[in-house]
Amino acid sequence: MGKKDLVMNNPLRVLGLEKKVQENGAGMGLVMARAGLGKTAILVQIALDSMLWGDKVLHVSIGEGIDKTKAWYDDILALMTAEEKSESMQVTVTEIMQKRMIMTFKESNFSQVKLEERLDDLVQQNIYKPVCLIIDGYDFQEGTHAALQEFKEFMVRRGLKMIWFSAVTHRDDERKSAAGVPAPCHEVDDLFDMVMFIAPKDNAIDLKILKCTNCAVNAGTSLTLDPSTMLIQKA
Amino acid sequence: MSVDLSNVRNIGISAHIDSGKTTLTERILFYTDRIHAIHDVRGKDGVGAKMDSMELERERGITIQSAATFCNWKGKDINIIDTPGHVDFTIEVERALRVLDGAVLVLCSVGGVQSQSITVNRQMTRYKVPRIAFINKCDRTGANPERVTAQLREKLGLNAHMMQLPIGLENDLVGVIDLVTMKALYFDGDNGEVVREEEIPAALQERAKEKREELLEAVSMFSDELMEVMLEEGDIDPALIHAAVRKGTLSLELTPVFVGSAYKNKAVQPMLDGVNAYLPCPTDVENMALDLNNEEKEFAVSNNPDDSLIMLAFKLEDGRYGQLTYVRTYQGKLSKGDTVFNSRTGKKVKIGRLCRMHSDEMEDIDFCGSGDIVALFGVDCASGDTFSSGDISCSMSSMHIPEPVISLAIVPVDNKAQINMSKALNRFTKEDPTFKTFVDHETNETIISGMGELHLEVYVERMKREYNAEVQVGAPQVAYREAITARAEFNYTHKKQTGGSGQFGRVAGYMEPLEEGEYEFVDAIVGGAIPREFISSCDKGFQKSLVKGALCGSVVTGVRCVINDGAFHAVDSSDVAFQLAAIGAFKEGYMKAKPVIMEPIMKVSVEGPTEFQGSIMGSINQRRGMIIGTMEEGNYTVVEADVPLSEMFGYSTVLRSLTQGKAEFTMEFSAFKHVPKTVNDELIKKYQSEKKNA
Repeated sequence: MGKKDLVMNNPLRVLGLEKKVQENGAGMGLVMARAGLGKTAILVQIALDSMLWGDKVLHVSIGEGIDKTKAWYDDILALMTAEEKSESMQVTVTEIMQKRMIMTFKESNFSQVKLEERLDDLVQQNIYKPVCLIIDGYDFQEGTHAALQEFKEFMVRRGLKMIWFSAVTHRDDERKSAAGVPAPCHEVDDLFDMVMFIAPKDNAIDLKILKCTNCAVNAGTSLTLDPSTMLIQKA
Repeated sequence: MSVDLSNVRNIGISAHIDSGKTTLTERILFYTDRIHAIHDVRGKDGVGAKMDSMELERERGITIQSAATFCNWKGKDINIIDTPGHVDFTIEVERALRVLDGAVLVLCSVGGVQSQSITVNRQMTRYKVPRIAFINKCDRTGANPERVTAQLREKLGLNAHMMQLPIGLENDLVGVIDLVTMKALYFDGDNGEVVREEEIPAALQERAKEKREELLEAVSMFSDELMEVMLEEGDIDPALIHAAVRKGTLSLELTPVFVGSAYKNKAVQPMLDGVNAYLPCPTDVENMALDLNNEEKEFAVSNNPDDSLIMLAFKLEDGRYGQLTYVRTYQGKLSKGDTVFNSRTGKKVKIGRLCRMHSDEMEDIDFCGSGDIVALFGVDCASGDTFSSGDISCSMSSMHIPEPVISLAIVPVDNKAQINMSKALNRFTKEDPTFKTFVDHETNETIISGMGELHLEVYVERMKREYNAEVQVGAPQVAYREAITARAEFNYTHKKQTGGSGQFGRVAGYMEPLEEGEYEFVDAIVGGAIPREFISSCDKGFQKSLVKGALCGSVVTGVRCVINDGAFHAVDSSDVAFQLAAIGAFKEGYMKAKPVIMEPIMKVSVEGPTEFQGSIMGSINQRRGMIIGTMEEGNYTVVEADVPLSEMFGYSTVLRSLTQGKAEFTMEFSAFKHVPKTVNDELIKKYQSEKKNA
C-alpha cells in the first residue's frame, strides 16, 4: 500500500471533495457535533486527506495543546496505515507529516487578526504556506456573521483553498436554519459551503452531510463512523 | 529564634542575570546586621559579595549556586535564598522556589522585563509563589521604573502596582515616596542605613497623589472595608491598605512594586518592610504532600510544630565537612540527635548536626521547627527526598527537573586527572540533577551534559580548581545507529587450513528487521546441521558483528538473525570457527539487507517572544527540523519541532543572537530516524576515509 492507495481508499472520496477543493477552492466547511463525539477526529481525517493530496495544512487548535492535537494525527494515521508497516510506508508517513503544522492558541487569545499575523510571519519568511486551514475549537457563541465573513475574506486574501471549522452543538438548543444546520451556527450557515453533523445512532455514529455545494453527494447523505476508531467507513 | 510562624518569612531573590540580586542581598544582610561591611560583587577590594562564596562566582561576577542565609528584620526571621540569574543554572532557581513561601522579583530599571525575568516569573507561577517586585538600579542612566511596571503588566501579565515613586532618577535619585503613608523617605549615613522621613517635595505632590489614587483603586478590590472608606472619602488608615495589599499578594492577584538602587544604598529598607508586610509566612501557604500509605493521596501539610515531622531535602552540597543537605521543614520539629526516615529509601537517619546557613558560614543550632530552612550534616540522600518522623509515610511532590540540553566530551590529561575527574563528577552529579555524565561506550569518551555551555564550562573549571583535574574538552559525537530494512539470506563457510588443526564452520539462514528490541537470535536448526555446542558460538559471532556496522561504524540495532542450516567438521569445527563463520555470514547478509544509518532526533521546544516566531522557525528549518507546531501563551510563543541532534550543537548561541537573548530552548531525545541520503553518503564517506587512514 502506498500513498496513492491511501488517497484512493479514503472513504472521503465519496464526497468528491478533492475535485471541489482542487478546482473551485475557497470554501468554508464545518463539522458539528455535541461535545465528545469526534469532531477533531473528522477534521483530522479531512486534514490528512488534503495532506495526502499534497496540500499543506495548518491545524489551528484553540484551547488544546500541541501534543494532544499531534496525538490525533498520529493515531488516525496509524489506523489508516495499520495494514502496512513497510519501510516505504514509514517514509510516506514522514512525508505526509511534513505537510502539517499545528498552531495552538488559548481561547482568550484567539482572533482572526492574530491568526493572520502569525500566518503572515510564516508565509513572508517562506517557512510555511498552507492551503488548507483547520480551526478546531472556535467559539461560535461569540462568532458573529461579520467575524466569520472576515475569515472568508481572509481565506481569499491568503490564497487558501479551504477552511474547516468545528462547532459544538447543545442538546437543549433546538434552533435550526432552513438547511437544518443546528445552533449555534444556524444564523451563519450561508457562509459555509459544506456542513457535516455527527449524530450517534444505536451502536454506530452517523456523519450526516447537511450541506455540500458542488459536491458529489446531495445534502442528506450519511456516512458511517466506526465508533471505536472514529474512522469514516467505506460506503 | 522566633517560634511564632507568623514571624517567619522564607523568601527567594530571583531575577534576570545582572539585575543586582546579590548586591541587594548584600544590602539586606548589612541592614539586618548580619554583616558589618558591604562588599561589591565585582568590588575592587577583591572580597566579593557575601552570598557569592565560590571563587568562580566572585571572579565572574555571577551567582552559580543558590546560597541560603538568615536574617531578622523588625522582629521577623527571614530565610533568604539568593539564586543565580543565568538560564543555565535554572535548577537552582527551581529548587529554591519549591521550598520558598514568597519571592522578590528583582528587575533592572533600564533593562526592564528581560528573558530570565520571564522564566523566573513562570517558575514562580508554577510553584504559586506570591511575589513582590523590586525595580533596582534606578540610579542608572535610562532608568524608568514606570515603564518597567507597565512591562510587568504587559509581558508578565501581573497586576503590578507601584507602592513607591522615586524622588529623582538616574544620578539624581535621592529617595522614594511611600504611596501608602505619603511620606518621602531618604537614606542617610555612609551606607544609607539611616532612614529619614520627610514631607513629599512640592514638585512631586500632584504626581504622588495621582499614583496613590491608582494604587488605592487597585488594592481596594481586595478589601471591602477599604473600598467603603474610599467611597465615603474618609481618612484611610495605612494598616487597611497594607492588609489589602497583603491579601492581593497572597492570592497572587497583585504584585506590589518597590523601587530603589541597592548599589547606591537607596530604598532597600522599605522593600524589606514590604517583605514583612506582604509576603506570606509558612502558615499562609498551602503545601501539599502525598500520603504513601493511601494511594499517594494529596494532603495539605499542617505547619504545626507539634505534628509529626515532614521535611524536604531540596539541595545537596559536598562541603568541607561532608555532604550538607538543605532541608525545609513543613510540619513538626527536628532536634539534634533525632532519628528521621527517608521516605524514598525507607532508611533511618540520625541527625548528628543541624545548622543554619549563612552563605558558606554556618551557625550550629539545636533544633528547628516547622517553616524553617536549615542544613543537615552527614545525611546520605538525594535531592528531592522527603524525611518524616516515621509515624507517617509521605512524599512532598517532586520538583520539576529540566532535561540536560547540551553535551561535551571530556578527556583527562593524565592518570591523576582521571582519578580526580571521577571524584569531581561523582560530586557534581549528586549536587546538581541537571548535570549528568556517562561514558559513551561507542566513542569511549566521558560525556558531560547540562543546561548550557556556561553550565558545563563552569563544571569543567570547577574540576580544575577544586579537584585539580585537568581535562581536554572536545566536541561531542552524535551516536548514530545502523539498522537493516529488508530480509536477506546468508550462507557462509569459514574454512582455514594452514597446518595443524584447521577451522571449519558453515552458517546459513537469514536476517530481518526486528520491530521491537535491539537484537534477537533464533535457532531454527534441525537435524544437527550445526552441533548444539556451536549454536551459542553463532550467537556470539552475530553479536560481535553488531558492535560496528559496515556503513559508518555505528552500532547495528533492530536485527533478528535466524540460522536454519550449516555444516561442521568433526575435527576442525570449534567455538572460534563458528563465531568467525557467523561474523562472515553477517557481513554477507548485511549489505543485502539494505542497511540504513539512523540518527537521534530531539524533541525541541523553543520559547520566545511572539515577535521572534518567524526567526525561531527559520532557524529550525535551517537545521533539518520538522516543525510540529506553535503554541501562543500571552506574548510568548512556544515552537515545538523534531530536530536531528547533530544539527543542534551551537544552537543556543545562534538562538541567543537571533532573539536578542530573549528565547530559550529545551530538548529531549525523541526517536532514532533515518538520515537523509546526503547525510548518509557523507557519513559513509567520512567513515571510509577514517578507516583508510587508520
